[in-house]
Amino acid sequence: MVAALLPLGGVLGLLLGGAVLLALAQSLGLAPWYGINTFPDFGYFAALWSSDGFWQSVALTLIYSVVATLLALLLALPTATLLVRRFPGRALFGFLYRLPLVVPYGVGIALAVLMMGNGGLLSRVAATLGWISDPAQFPRLLNTHAGWGVIAVYVWKQLPFMVVAIHAVLVAADREPAEAAHLLGAGRWAVFRHITLPQIAPGIVSATLICFAFNMGAFEAPFILGGGYPDTLPVLAWRYFNDADYALQLRGMATVVSIAALTGGLILAWLLAYRAYERRTGRLGHDR
Amino acid sequence: MIRLAQVLLLSCLLMPAALAQTDPAASRFQADFLDGKLAWDSVLEAARVEGEVQFFYWGGDDNLNIWMDSIVAPALADLGITLRASRITGTKDAVDLVLAEAGAGKGIGQGSVDAIWLNGENFFTLKQQGQLFGSFAQALPNSVHFEWDEADPRSTLNLRDFGTPTQSMELPWSGEQYVCVANRALMSTDQTPSDFAGLSAYLEANPGKFTYVKPPHYLGNTFVQQVLYAFNPDGTGAAPFQNSIAELGADELARLIEPGFTYLRALEPLLLGGPQGATRYPEDGAAADGLFRNSEIHLTCGFGLYAVATKRANGSYPDTAEEIVFPVGNMIKNKSYLAIPGNAPNPAAALVLANYMASVDAQVTRLELVGYPAGIDPWRLAPADAARLEAAAPPHFGITPAELDANIAPDTNASLVDVIEAVWLDYIERGSDQPFAAIVARAAAPALQ
Repeated sequence: MVAALLPLGGVLGLLLGGAVLLALAQSLGLAPWYGINTFPDFGYFAALWSSDGFWQSVALTLIYSVVATLLALLLALPTATLLVRRFPGRALFGFLYRLPLVVPYGVGIALAVLMMGNGGLLSRVAATLGWISDPAQFPRLLNTHAGWGVIAVYVWKQLPFMVVAIHAVLVAADREPAEAAHLLGAGRWAVFRHITLPQIAPGIVSATLICFAFNMGAFEAPFILGGGYPDTLPVLAWRYFNDADYALQLRGMATVVSIAALTGGLILAWLLAYRAYERRTGRLGHDR
Repeated sequence: MIRLAQVLLLSCLLMPAALAQTDPAASRFQADFLDGKLAWDSVLEAARVEGEVQFFYWGGDDNLNIWMDSIVAPALADLGITLRASRITGTKDAVDLVLAEAGAGKGIGQGSVDAIWLNGENFFTLKQQGQLFGSFAQALPNSVHFEWDEADPRSTLNLRDFGTPTQSMELPWSGEQYVCVANRALMSTDQTPSDFAGLSAYLEANPGKFTYVKPPHYLGNTFVQQVLYAFNPDGTGAAPFQNSIAELGADELARLIEPGFTYLRALEPLLLGGPQGATRYPEDGAAADGLFRNSEIHLTCGFGLYAVATKRANGSYPDTAEEIVFPVGNMIKNKSYLAIPGNAPNPAAALVLANYMASVDAQVTRLELVGYPAGIDPWRLAPADAARLEAAAPPHFGITPAELDANIAPDTNASLVDVIEAVWLDYIERGSDQPFAAIVARAAAPALQ
């Protein structure tokens, strides 16, 4: 068992663990290659956390991540339940909904620019129909802090992933309790709420965790489609890395560590909440 | 890129920085070449032995990439050198790589960057950190194509790069001028602004129809510099901006730039998105080109003396795009250069690459196919070569070369560029309400330490 985990553990430990340790060391002032060595120095975190717009960046990052994850989940639940049933065209639908999985994020972002921009396809259609006479009259969907473009790309890419995860749990789940409840007169909502939802909870938790963690650390979508200052945290980190002042690279590292800590903390809280829920519904007690 | 940097920095950490390494053969080559002991033939021979050259350059221009693959790579292959081009999105990536490797103790012959296309701040950084190969440019056979005589004012762009003396540590490769382009379908000739007051007046009548690239991108920095020249309270234009921050001091700089920044702040609500309450600054030239192509803005500015010809041809600009004289007397002109880092793995091949890039063939084909103005000086060429260069130049639209030449301004000193960037981020982007002098003092602090 332990031996089987060695290769993965080695790769994760060295590359990921090493990178995290290095980021932590740098954010605390260890960067002799830029002529900076004040380790341990918490000043970079203090400067970052008190800098203008930092907490707005935190809020924006959280809003985009959570809203996109919840939207994808809301759309994924009915799609996954639909896919369990038989209906005409199910095979084709099952193929089509998975298409975004194989299309890279970068392409999705380019699609958003081409479709949703003020000079994009939707705007041009509106102009052709005579609804607008100037690109500025088309509602701005991209490059605003409302983040519609960013959220649209996240949802577009992650919806099929969530459907796959939830569908897999749903297929493996026992159908009998739901049928029994139906026979005993439970409505569709009651069946979903009391039987299906607890059954697919593990799928929901794992899928939302992965999507949320990705969204927190994603760079390209908010960089290209975001609203500029204040930026999301990964874009903020990139700006610090690119600043002419090399001392700001360490503040960039402090930003990276802050992203990891925030995301890690929220994931832990979500997992603990899920565990408490499992314990309350009595599932955990029986298994272990 | 960030992942690459992390892996790289990890390797730095694992490597004791104290153990500086150099390749003895490369080190001897460097010393002999810089002492003038090597004939060009032995440089060519050493380059053949090295067999490859790692060239890092901004890869955002397809025409340039095609020229590099179809003209430069075969020419170098004839000399027994394989061109390994690393197309980067920001030149600072290559500079960071050189510095990180130098920090890990990698000396000459040990690094991974042989040549970088750069200018301004990036050259300043490498020079300040002592990470350049040495004074090589005037030792190349093709250095006869450049004006090196200090007595001739036309030599300035070969001897100074954003105010930093080049000392032959980089070779002039390309010239450029900051030119603004109007879409004649949207902006008629009589509406065209020629100075910043005219720009404001145009935007009052057509709100939101212009924006500039966001500093610290150099395209945005250059726009800001032109504003600062025009609003210089002494009326001396670019002159005081040739001094370094140490020479000027933060207070004097604050006095010089406050009127310009006041103008930029007043301009903000008139820029793209401003009328809707959120001004939008594109991240780079490609994004600005997209806005211009889609008629979202009527006017765009960028480096590109022949950009209208090239971009009309490839469809990046509409056929109604024309160059304009704006701002009168303050159109920044500069050169960009090839530098060889101090830890180049193949220094001989890097020298051969630089020499090829300074050849008439390379400069003529690039002007013709890519539209980049020559870095070599036409009056130093044989008449037949100068005529070839002139014939290769793409056409201008709506403006004459004489008008472009009559409105030239020099670049800002590299040490000021960083400070002006930081002031823009604080005063314009973050909208700081602190006293202006305090903002400048804080921005200048790292440079004045």
